[in-house]
Amino acid sequence: MSAAALPNARPAQPRARGLLARLLCDPLGRLGLIMTVLILLMAVFAGTLAPVDPFKQDILGRLGGPSARHLLGTDQFGRDTLSRILYGYRASLGVAVGAVTIALLIGGTLGILAAYLGGWFDRVVMRVMDVLLAFPVILLAIGIVAVLGPGPANTALAIGVVYIPTFARLLRAPALVLKASEYVSAAQALGASDGRVIFRHILPNIVAVLLIQTSLALSTAILVEASLSFLGLGTRPPTPSLGLMLSEARTFLTLQPWPAVFSGLAILIASLGFNLLGDSLRDVLDPRLRGQE
Amino acid sequence: MKSRLIALAIPMLVATAGAQQVERGGTLQLAVDQSPVGLDPHVATAFSTFVVTGQIYESLLEVDANLKIRPLLASKYTRSDDGLTYTFTLRPGVKFHNGDALSAGDVVYSMNRVKDPKTASPLASRLSSVTSVKASGPLQVTFTLSKPYAPFLSEVATIDIVDQKYVEGGGNLQRAAIGTGPFVFKQWIPDTALVLDKNPAYWAKGQPYLDGLKFNIVPDASTRQIGLQGGTYQFLPNIDASVAATLKTAPGVQLLRSQDLAYSLLGMNVSRKPFDDPRVREALNYAINRPEIVQGVYFGDAVPGGPIPPALKTYATPVSNFPCYTYSPAKAKDLLRQAGYPNGVDFSILTFSTIKTVSDAAQVLQAELAPAGFRAKIDIQEFGNFVQNWRNSNFDAFVSLNGGSVDPDGQLYRTVVSGGSTNVFKYKDPAVDALLEQGRSTTSNGSRVRTYAQLQKTLACRGPAAFLAYGALYSATRSEVQGFTPNPTRSLAALKTTWIKR
Amino acid sequence: MLTYAARRLIDLLVILFGVSVLVFLMIRLIPGDAVQILLGANTEVTPEQIATLRHTLGLDQPVLVQYGGWLSGILRGNLGQSVWTGAPIGEEIMARLPVTLELTVIPLLLASALAIPLGILTASWRNSGVERALRFLTIAGITTPAFWLGTLFIYVAFLIAPRWATIGYVPFSTDPLGHLSRMVLPVIALALPLLAGLIRILRSSLLEVLGQDFIRTARSKGLSERRVLYRHALRNAMVPLLTVLGIQAGYLFGGAIVVEQVFAIPGFGRLIVGAINERNYALVQGSILVVTAGFVLINFLVDLLYAAVDPRVEYR
Repeated sequence: MSAAALPNARPAQPRARGLLARLLCDPLGRLGLIMTVLILLMAVFAGTLAPVDPFKQDILGRLGGPSARHLLGTDQFGRDTLSRILYGYRASLGVAVGAVTIALLIGGTLGILAAYLGGWFDRVVMRVMDVLLAFPVILLAIGIVAVLGPGPANTALAIGVVYIPTFARLLRAPALVLKASEYVSAAQALGASDGRVIFRHILPNIVAVLLIQTSLALSTAILVEASLSFLGLGTRPPTPSLGLMLSEARTFLTLQPWPAVFSGLAILIASLGFNLLGDSLRDVLDPRLRGQE
Repeated sequence: MKSRLIALAIPMLVATAGAQQVERGGTLQLAVDQSPVGLDPHVATAFSTFVVTGQIYESLLEVDANLKIRPLLASKYTRSDDGLTYTFTLRPGVKFHNGDALSAGDVVYSMNRVKDPKTASPLASRLSSVTSVKASGPLQVTFTLSKPYAPFLSEVATIDIVDQKYVEGGGNLQRAAIGTGPFVFKQWIPDTALVLDKNPAYWAKGQPYLDGLKFNIVPDASTRQIGLQGGTYQFLPNIDASVAATLKTAPGVQLLRSQDLAYSLLGMNVSRKPFDDPRVREALNYAINRPEIVQGVYFGDAVPGGPIPPALKTYATPVSNFPCYTYSPAKAKDLLRQAGYPNGVDFSILTFSTIKTVSDAAQVLQAELAPAGFRAKIDIQEFGNFVQNWRNSNFDAFVSLNGGSVDPDGQLYRTVVSGGSTNVFKYKDPAVDALLEQGRSTTSNGSRVRTYAQLQKTLACRGPAAFLAYGALYSATRSEVQGFTPNPTRSLAALKTTWIKR
Repeated sequence: MLTYAARRLIDLLVILFGVSVLVFLMIRLIPGDAVQILLGANTEVTPEQIATLRHTLGLDQPVLVQYGGWLSGILRGNLGQSVWTGAPIGEEIMARLPVTLELTVIPLLLASALAIPLGILTASWRNSGVERALRFLTIAGITTPAFWLGTLFIYVAFLIAPRWATIGYVPFSTDPLGHLSRMVLPVIALALPLLAGLIRILRSSLLEVLGQDFIRTARSKGLSERRVLYRHALRNAMVPLLTVLGIQAGYLFGGAIVVEQVFAIPGFGRLIVGAINERNYALVQGSILVVTAGFVLINFLVDLLYAAVDPRVEYR
């Protein structure tokens, strides 16, 4: 990629209060923020909010439609769909947040170091990133999950590895710009250590780009997790992950469509919420980036 | 010749039973979940292969829908009084699809090919008691056994006869198939379909009724189901209980039912704590609510069974004779306490997800075992991984579906005998070993029944596996599909007498 | 330009070499090996049989030797043979190639063809209500899981037109109508999210370009609005669109994996997933290498095009 495609990081630091206010001005930003916060709350407080134990089976009451007892109906083992969706948010978000954290920490560190250290380190790291980027997203995740085995932690790791290059590139670019810019040189001239340069001057300037990419990556990570579960590779039963619930419910689509409808909607809402938030953040923080992935 | 007449008469009876005129022609559209992993019937282990090769190849004998052994390529057979020599007479005039005539040499070649270590045939051990196979005439084959072996005929019924000339001439049986069966291999379109044509020279006159079979490969269960309901497909062989439940009320669809020989089980590693203690294994049996499994996993369409499938009526002991089949968490806790686990036990269940019945059973089990103090963690692995851990006995317990056998020896021997090839439980019991040997070498029916009754009594409650249930086996078809009788062995041999009503 | 292309081409080869190493190691790190799976679960196999089979397949050799053998085969144009059937890998891949190309190229073309007029159209609506509705819809389009969309399509098609053949695959050459009837839904399922993404990008980059100095100059020179839009703005707005197209090819392939599964279409996705499950080493290696090569090549072409479209890009 050439320089023209790089996100244009500005040295100006967005102030937090202004950011929130501007985000709330945008109706879609408001919607995204509300959805995201609600989903996070549901995930965190799933234990308190869930009306029933999500693992509690009631074979005779299986595949029931929405009712007063089970607001969103029951699945094939008679487990409460609402409770499972709440716990499903916890599982799916856990995987997505884990994945993005891994990608951010590893990819981000590699990208910044590559920019800052330059030389052979930069070349080797970026070449490895190119190799990883050469794989279509799901394909790489499938391969890694196959190696590591299933389970939430491994799925998070697999999706995380997939997104490492994205974050490495994302952070390398502004870090390069900043490295070249005057005030870093000034700081170095004043005798600041390398670590200090990175943490005091480079990182804060990258926050804007990061916020945007993190929420967008969370949105796609939720979808990738769902796709992996659909292919029988992601989360495993009886853990209620959203993708798994949806693929289990598909079997009974013609008999009882509700579980499939609700779990599908649950995925859409989560992914949509994070994406709306990311999109609005981009508008607010840097209108010039609008529309770019 | 007499037996040939009988063999022919059976399908005719079935076909005319409904007092309907058979209509010929048409291609039957089947939908299966996987591509075959190669077409060599001596090498394959996957069910997806047998579904197809079962139409192309034939064995000397076949197992019918009532689990009776019947002549197929052999028109008759005799057994010597000492039980050491079997002589098969081949049906005359049978031709392979390429025109080669079936001869005794092909049978000898096929048996030796299976026994040859270079073939690495998983069927090899079925012939382990056979010391020699000889052509004693152009259409006569003689098997010599090292010791009497009761399940011999049912084992021979699983070995398909291939064309010696074709294979030795360099034919690759994994990619092409030349047999004597009612359908001829025509084309394998990767990941799309296997196309079979009618064998016009089939030895049973007038069969098959259909012009051809198309096995469409459709990996997604709900797609197969909607495809059947919409009429894209006409036949879904051997479907999961949950799919059968959704299709039960679908218009234009009929479910053909038979009792499955395959059974779900929870296997235990007896070389590890806590299942090294027979009392813990008995406790586990008490902690299993089998009627609930029948409901939850099989949608009510299964029967709890013991070590021998209820479909083998002569041998199977009714489950009411096994005290531990009565659900009692209290009894389970009591036994656990006696075994030194007053606070219950923690263990993990190894399983896989490619068969829905299996992962469903694991989930229901996990939920119902907990109140009795068996706290299970489910470890669902990708199938290849599962096989590896299973084979290496790398598990506390596992949940799986075991393919059944038409003979009690096939059902039990290799699974529970000390060092048996599928005895992944590491179970060792000299008394059981002795009974198993007795069961396979006795040829008198009465004493065999007694031997296996004793074995079932020992194995049901304290054996290395908790037998869960034998499901109903369904094939779902469009209602215009006629003349198919489902077979508990999952064989689709009855497709040769299947026809489509227009 | 030429040296730029040459440098990028060398990059490309280095990347593919890296991919080949990664894929080779990855498939061997997956627990459960080909032989065990080949011999199946409920069967009686002696350790000797396993050893024999492993030897026949060459799996008992050191990994480096195996890799060397594979690589030298590739350089001679031989991708090896299927562990299971002995079929040449090249043949297996060629059988799926047209299907996969159809499932990626048609949605890509369809989405691009629709995105350009729709992008221009929506860029002329500056009303904030419309703008918001569009943003919401396009984002919702991007975030809908492909397999869910596929299932819904099949189900709804079954409800409204039960006789419509939507599942499976027939080659165009044998049954053109049947082919099209079956490809419509999967192509739409794949094109829809893509279209949503492209409209969004095109619209916002158009709006951005329209606000820039050179457009104002063009307008002040008295050029018609249409001419401004098509001759100047669109060309500049194509730059981000192209970049995204390159990236989207990867997402599209990911979507194709699940859509193939749902619609029972014999493409690369099913080939690879099936081969991984069977530990069909050579097949996994070969097919992933081909997919990534195609993917890297697309991005390479995009880069070149990009340079051609946008005069501001310098060739580093």
